[in-house]
Amino acid sequence: MMFSESERERYRRQMMLFGDEGQERLKKAHIFIAGAGGLGSPVSIYLAVAGIGTITIVDMDVVDQTNLNRQILHCDRDIGRKKTTSAKEKLQAINPDITVNAIDVKIDETNADDLVGEAHGIVDAMDNYPTRYLLNNAAIAKGIPLFHGGIRGFYGQATTIVPGTTPCLKCIFPKSPPKEVFPVVGVTAGFIGMVQANEVIKFLLGIGELLTGRLLIWDGMQAHAEEICVERNPACSACGSMVKKTTAGKKR
Amino acid sequence: MTVKIRFFARFRELLGTDIITDVAAGTNFTSLIVTMAKKNPEGYAAIFDEKGAFREYVILMKNGKRIDIADAATTPVADNDEIAVFPPVAGG
Repeated sequence: MMFSESERERYRRQMMLFGDEGQERLKKAHIFIAGAGGLGSPVSIYLAVAGIGTITIVDMDVVDQTNLNRQILHCDRDIGRKKTTSAKEKLQAINPDITVNAIDVKIDETNADDLVGEAHGIVDAMDNYPTRYLLNNAAIAKGIPLFHGGIRGFYGQATTIVPGTTPCLKCIFPKSPPKEVFPVVGVTAGFIGMVQANEVIKFLLGIGELLTGRLLIWDGMQAHAEEICVERNPACSACGSMVKKTTAGKKR
Repeated sequence: MTVKIRFFARFRELLGTDIITDVAAGTNFTSLIVTMAKKNPEGYAAIFDEKGAFREYVILMKNGKRIDIADAATTPVADNDEIAVFPPVAGG
């Protein structure tokens, strides 16, 4: 795969880290981001600047003024516009060398697999567990990773799910908490979104240690991060029937 | 004997964390958490329902191992146990 002069300049500082080969892996990659809100904003912006070749971002909402303390993809002038329209515009302006598919639809059990399509990984940037479980099922069905994140107030959590190897979302959180209008400060979304985007990049490059089998818990009030080990549930309703893989597929 | 209780996220806001407490031998997981949570009615209500049962989404761990909610009342705590109680964080 050839890079244009412009691309070589754009990615020069990171190609110092992982070379043409790494950048090519990112360019060939397709990542599915579920949600263009608090987490979806920082995740999509940083994956766009990193040069992920194809980003599909899905959201069903319209930009509301109350979103603007954290959803940094959207500006004051976007109030009332579709989040997908706003997201595509910003991401293409940030990096015109990538392909952005923005799909304005509600993710449900009938369309989740088709929406994810041939993507190499799913970023969970949702705000509710019922939809997260659909993403979890799609990740299991396709054998691709799910990069989970969740935020509330100054607290956040993240983990990387590799179906068949790590616990799935349902192993870790079998029951969804009640829906609420959650309090949140933008920096929490930024912090957790960066953990997720960092995981995506490492996964695609096949480098480093993924946040697998570990739930990262961030307490912004204490400026303290810690990990809890998480294990597969052999009786899990979502992944219990999957045979455990002996080697984690680090490289795709 | 002494155990340490760690609450996370919303539970931490309401109940604090890293609480070291003396417990009598034979104390079970549920009774320990009930005692700790009752220090703040809002904290109690976040973890337990009206019937006094753990809310179904609460995650319990003992020394890094998951304890099923259904087994909490029959799971004894031991000296130096570290108990973690947390909710799934749902926002995005």
